[in-house]
Amino acid sequence: MKRVEVKLGLPVVAPLLDVIKRTVDDLNGHLAVPQSLQDLDEELGAAWKGELLDGQNKDCRRFLALFDSEFFVSGMVVFDDDNAESVLRACAAIRLRLRQRDLEGLPDDVLEGAGVDVAKLDEAGQKSYMCYVFLATLQELIIQHLDAAILEG
Amino acid sequence: MIASSARTDVAPAQRTETELALAGLWRVVVLNDPVNLMSYVVLVFRKVFGFGEVTARRHMLEVHEQGRSVVWSGLREKAEAYVFTLQQWHLTAILEPDETR
Repeated sequence: MKRVEVKLGLPVVAPLLDVIKRTVDDLNGHLAVPQSLQDLDEELGAAWKGELLDGQNKDCRRFLALFDSEFFVSGMVVFDDDNAESVLRACAAIRLRLRQRDLEGLPDDVLEGAGVDVAKLDEAGQKSYMCYVFLATLQELIIQHLDAAILEG
Repeated sequence: MIASSARTDVAPAQRTETELALAGLWRVVVLNDPVNLMSYVVLVFRKVFGFGEVTARRHMLEVHEQGRSVVWSGLREKAEAYVFTLQQWHLTAILEPDETR
C-alpha cells in the first residue's frame, strides 16, 4: 500500500483547524452542493439526499481523524489508498462551504485565478482563505501521489 | 446506490405519463463551479466514467470554459446513478432529456 506522509507546520496549520471544524459542523445536515435533480418524487429525493449526506459526514469524519493527538506532537498526516478518496471529497466539501459562507464576496474569476489580495480581507476572511488554500494543497498532493490508487480503487 | 424501486406507487394513468416522461435518453451534464480544482475534476471524470486523461481533460475544459459539458448519455436509471456518484464527489451534475437522438 502506498503511503504519503506529509509534515505540516503546526504553528501554521493548528489555528486553521478551528475554522475547518466549524465548517464541518456547519455542513452537518447540509449538502456542500445542493442537489439539483428534477423529476424525483419526494420519497426518492429524500433518500437521495440522505445517502449523499451520510457519505459527506463519513468523509468529513475521516478527514478530521487525520488531526488526532499524534498530529499535535509530530505535525504529520498520512494519506494512503484507504483514506485518499474520503479526504479528497471532504476537502472539496469544506472548500465549497468556505466559499459559500466566508468567501462569497470574492468574484469567481479572482478566486479561480488565485489572485486574491489577502491583505484586503478581514482577519476572519484571511483565515478562511488560508484554509481554502491549505485544503487545495492537500488535494493536489493526494492527486499527484495517489491518483493510480484512486482510479483502481 | 439508490434504486428506482424506491418510488412510491401511483395510479396507472399517472404512471404511464411518468414512464413516458422518463423513457428515452437522458444526458448527464456537469456544470461549472469556481471552487473545485481542475485536476480534481479530471480525476473524478476518469474515476467515474473510466475516461482516459485526454477525454477527461477535454470535458473538464469544456465545463470550465463553456460552463457545462455533457459527459454521458443513455437510459434514465444509469444516468441517475452517474449523477448521484458525481454529486458524491461534490460536482454540480444535472440530468436533462437528450433530444438530439
